[in-house]
Amino acid sequence: MSQDGQSKNDGHKDRVGRRGFLKGAGATGAALGASIAAPAAAQAPAAPTRSAGPPDIAAETLPPAPDSQQQSSSGGDFMVDVLKTIGFDYVTQTPASTFRGLHEAIINYGGNKAPELLSCVHEEIAVAMAHGYAKIENKPMAVMVQSTVGLQHASMALYNAYCDQAPIYMIAGNLTDSTKRLFGFEHAHSAIDPAVIVRDFVKWDDQPGSLQHFSESAIRAYKIAMTPPYGPVLLTVDGELQENSIPNRAALTIPPVARVAPLQGDSGAVAETARLLAAAENPVIIADRLARTQDGMDRLIELAEVLQCPVVDAGGRSNFPTRHGLNHSGRSGALLAQADVIVGLEVNDFFNTLHALSDRIERRSRQITKPGAKIINITARDLSPRSNYQDFGRYQPIDLTIPADGQDTLPSLIEAVRKLIDGGRKSALEARGQRLVQIHNTMIENWKSDATLGWDMTPVSLGRLCAEVFDQIKNDDWSMVGNGIRVTWPRRLWRFDKNYRWIGSSGGSGIGYNVAASLGAALANRKHGRLSVSIQGDGDLMFSPGTLWTAAHHQIPILYVMHNNRAWHQEVMYLQAMCNRHGRGVTNAHIGTTITDPNIDYAMMAKSMGVYAEGPITNAKDIAPALKRALAVVRKGEPALVDVVTDVR
Amino acid sequence: MNKILPLAVMMMVVAPAWAQTAPKGDPDNGRKVYLADGCFQCHGRVGQGGLMTGPAPILAQTKLPYAAFTRQLRNPINDMPPYPAKLLPDQEMADIYAFLQSLPGRRPVKDIPILDKN
Repeated sequence: MSQDGQSKNDGHKDRVGRRGFLKGAGATGAALGASIAAPAAAQAPAAPTRSAGPPDIAAETLPPAPDSQQQSSSGGDFMVDVLKTIGFDYVTQTPASTFRGLHEAIINYGGNKAPELLSCVHEEIAVAMAHGYAKIENKPMAVMVQSTVGLQHASMALYNAYCDQAPIYMIAGNLTDSTKRLFGFEHAHSAIDPAVIVRDFVKWDDQPGSLQHFSESAIRAYKIAMTPPYGPVLLTVDGELQENSIPNRAALTIPPVARVAPLQGDSGAVAETARLLAAAENPVIIADRLARTQDGMDRLIELAEVLQCPVVDAGGRSNFPTRHGLNHSGRSGALLAQADVIVGLEVNDFFNTLHALSDRIERRSRQITKPGAKIINITARDLSPRSNYQDFGRYQPIDLTIPADGQDTLPSLIEAVRKLIDGGRKSALEARGQRLVQIHNTMIENWKSDATLGWDMTPVSLGRLCAEVFDQIKNDDWSMVGNGIRVTWPRRLWRFDKNYRWIGSSGGSGIGYNVAASLGAALANRKHGRLSVSIQGDGDLMFSPGTLWTAAHHQIPILYVMHNNRAWHQEVMYLQAMCNRHGRGVTNAHIGTTITDPNIDYAMMAKSMGVYAEGPITNAKDIAPALKRALAVVRKGEPALVDVVTDVR
Repeated sequence: MNKILPLAVMMMVVAPAWAQTAPKGDPDNGRKVYLADGCFQCHGRVGQGGLMTGPAPILAQTKLPYAAFTRQLRNPINDMPPYPAKLLPDQEMADIYAFLQSLPGRRPVKDIPILDKN
């Protein structure tokens, strides 16, 4: 593009596509090669008897030995055929020379469609976008990175995706052969095993040595990423392999993409779980990273209603409607203390769930379940263990572990439970359900009452902020794609009734996730016509502010509402705890934990990158009008940001 | 201070039973201490509580008896930082308590349509 934004080819009636151009160029090149070949041959030493003499002017002024200027195919083209076979819609990237061959093939040979190339200003953004996208679309996005510096930039977001069991399809360009590297940076940008820095948190990686190898590994990688537990995969792809021509395209094959059958639990173990649940007086179901699709939510509703059993939605995904009478997420402690049977469905940290933890000088944990409570865990997580990073949590004794996918196992569990509930039992369960609904309704009313506290305060209370946002989006097909406040108030005040209403958190608690993952999820929501909203923390935004440029550049509709408390506030409280632990007072706790002096103008920052923005808003009465104006922009298909200065928590 | 005195006097008249045993406190100074000593960082600037920490209980018009209130400050249960006398003198505790009692409490949900109807 020229500086005036116009393509150099714009207005050329005789524009030639790349294929046509190369076809012609190939013929020209061949003719040129022939014309050069003759004089080159002519300058060869004529006879061994010729001694050193005056310079051979003719030889020294001739062009160098023939070097092919153009080629009619590239390994990158074949790689695009493979990516199209898999069915990627998008590939995110920050441009880098080690994948220039594949980059060019995607935008020209592939027509920049399926996959379409998206520009990000940092690799962490590229991966986090893919993370959010996967949780809405239930399939991976491809991400291209440079193999050393790019992969290192990407690694934080990759770790989040691994912890969150999200499929990401990484392609790292690398220059394997040192004799093919030209400049100093090309050596610094190459490694013999680039994947080693992320191998602890990708499910599988490979470094194909040929195009056929690439084809087979690419299909294998996709299958592994999409087999529960989902996770990131990585292919390291040599630059020469991408750029050089294909010796024999007809000899290359692309395997079909394998369908992965549901990973259901063992029938005997499922039957035992059903017996325990059906006979329990106080059963509890805990769902965490369970519902990948709406079917997961629908099945969980069915199971809960058959049993008239309370559900604790731990929030790893949107598993259960917030206004369903059996949703008792807000009183998990009381429920678990009384429970006689607890069934976990893809629970991330069971020990933490079943214990009260205390962050004191002596760190303590106290089991909150009563002795003898039966604990069952249905999870695919045990099928892909890693050792180094400790995200699997502390060991929790379990009575029965079913190593299977939670969502895939729900149909057989429901069927088994139904068989066990006769008429008499059904009446007892219905009575239990009615009591639970009453408790649920009281809980909702109490939460609404809580939200009235500080209703008109400045800075704005989080309860007020969330109530204002929901009032503006409740009639849209909304999707909360990010949440910098641990989804606290929205789960109390909003009606989450679809699986896509909430996508879960980062997984690894790596800051910088929210803004970019929100955008990736918003991209996935775009084709479904959904309104994407993200409550955005200021600390998180400052890790990846360039995300806003990608939002504007690719016209991805999303509303960011800032929870701007001008701090990394979790750390403020940790520092306060440390200060008082040593009896030194909290006067200095702001040092190193706050984002003030100067305050950041997020609206100005967003505007500078082409995003509609308003704020900072400090008066709660100004929120609704600002949201209306911003949402008008979003509903037209563009991003917007409303900066609200909020109370700290 | 002129504005605060009538409020303190009023509190002595209308203070609920759980607060009546509390020593007289200055709510204006209590507010200053509440902010300076970082109470608001968990419990919110107007005692509305915090969901992301603990959670931190709602303190506006707290029904916690004064003795229990001071016990929690000096020797807190759970993860709340301790406030020994050298950091928070007895009178300042009383001031904070008075401030918390002076805060506006809940409003009827029916008066706020975006809560009531959603």
